[in-house]
Amino acid sequence: MAATASEGPFSRALPWLVPLALIILWQVSSSLGWLPPNILPAPTAVLEAAWTKLQDGSLIDNLGVSFARAMSGLIIGGAIGFSLGLLNGLSKTGEMLLDPTLQMIRNIPHLALIPLVIIWFGIGESARLFLVALGVFFPIYLNTLHGVRNVDPQLIEMGRIYGMNNRTLFLKVILPGALPSIFVGLRFALGVMWLTLIVAETIAANSGIGHMAMAAREFMQTDIVVLSIVIYAILGKLADSATRALERKFLAWNPAYAKV
Amino acid sequence: MSSQPTGGSRVSLKDVKKAFGSNVVLQGIDLEIPAGQFVSIVGKSGCGKSTLLRLMIGLDSVTSGALDAPALKEQAARIVFQEPRLLPWASVKDNVAVGLGEGQSGQAADKQAAEILEEVGLKGREGLWPSQLSGGMRQRVALARALVSQPTLLALDEPLGALDALTRIDMQALLEGVWQDLGFTALMVTHDVGEAVALGDRVILIDHGQVVLDLPVDLPRPRKRGTPEFAALEGQILDKLFGDDPRAREAH
Ligand SMILES: Nc1ncnc2c1ncn2[C@@H]1O[C@H](COP(=O)(O)OP(=O)(O)O)[C@@H](O)[C@H]1O
Ligand SMILES: [Mg+2]
Repeated sequence: MAATASEGPFSRALPWLVPLALIILWQVSSSLGWLPPNILPAPTAVLEAAWTKLQDGSLIDNLGVSFARAMSGLIIGGAIGFSLGLLNGLSKTGEMLLDPTLQMIRNIPHLALIPLVIIWFGIGESARLFLVALGVFFPIYLNTLHGVRNVDPQLIEMGRIYGMNNRTLFLKVILPGALPSIFVGLRFALGVMWLTLIVAETIAANSGIGHMAMAAREFMQTDIVVLSIVIYAILGKLADSATRALERKFLAWNPAYAKV
Repeated sequence: MSSQPTGGSRVSLKDVKKAFGSNVVLQGIDLEIPAGQFVSIVGKSGCGKSTLLRLMIGLDSVTSGALDAPALKEQAARIVFQEPRLLPWASVKDNVAVGLGEGQSGQAADKQAAEILEEVGLKGREGLWPSQLSGGMRQRVALARALVSQPTLLALDEPLGALDALTRIDMQALLEGVWQDLGFTALMVTHDVGEAVALGDRVILIDHGQVVLDLPVDLPRPRKRGTPEFAALEGQILDKLFGDDPRAREAH
């Protein structure tokens, strides 16, 4: 069933039909004046805004700043989450020592810490980095831990019987076995990453896409506000596609991911 | 076939006892298994068959008594389980290479892996993932992984138990052929009395942790199941397994 539905140009165009219709409807409504530009600007106006911002270089600058923030937060929070997930997944002592505390902290929505974070770090770069890293940490930690703990014990026994040392056992059995779960964590983390960044840049920043949107709001430049939203959506989509590509590469052995 | 014979090694057990805590699983086990013999082990579920196998290949140690198996000192004992236990993320070839142990890679290793894969009838499948293979083929990869390091003692714990009837018949012939080619000592646990008689030089029946029957099978190979001699041996084993309970025998 899935095989026949994914064939042919018509089926391939199918998912685009509804979004396309919505954009056309939006454009028509704007052109006919049903949708005033101070509520929602026309798609063409958003494109124009994108062009202007591209030409004066501010779009690329802000995009670069936001992207760098997102990635540094992801790398810092992800690396800590991954390491602790491995540690607690592999060591019973580590798990007993740290996991209960982490499970407790996990229940605090990290965005609730914003006032405290501002007191600690001011509204500078470190505050945003801290929030993104914290938000990214938990999904990566939890899924790494879950992945390591759920590696088939029969495979681990097999590895031991064949004389694998700890390092080989980790590299050939435990890590690849945990990888599907780690990718699930990464997907979640990317969602949290953008969300946190949007909030952080919107509340307090002097650069970045969020700041661009907030500055535009002061002058009622709805086209730039909508442009910022669209850019966030595109960034989110790109991150998701990149993860999918990585999954296809690293999980090709798994029939669930092997399909193109 | 391309693999060279490796030969077998003997195993001897003298008054072996195995207990887990206060649970005595095996006791008074005396067995002399000459090099190269194919030994079938049968018995009801939970009677200690797997435990006996694990002792004989050094995965567990005896509680008392003496076990002497040169293969253990030479690290030349391997085991195949009912589940193939392949690494799903490694190709057929890399799975087989696991059997070569630490630090074995490169051309020599590739050649050994290719040879043993040919021996088990998987030539040309080196690059596939386990998920692309049938159950029987996966078990062949597991067999190749166990044999690639040229063990002299191979334990098989219900190796064909998860396969369908037709694949099993295929795999029994394959197992017999590989054993004849390579000459290792084979210790196979099975719940199928017919399979035990078809493959074993000898069938050992375990009951309540003891050897209650040790039956030589002197039939020419490959063995035909329908013959009266075959059926007589099967009958002898089933009698001992189920005693005088005709309903249980009927069910088997
Ligand atoms: N590692 C172990 N720890 C404790 N008891 C065990 C262990 N392995 C096996 N046993 C016990 O030994 C008995 C025989 O098990 P096993 O050898 O697996 O039987 P079989 O393979 O004949 O079905 C069972 O009662 C089982 O509970
Ligand atoms: Mg068993």
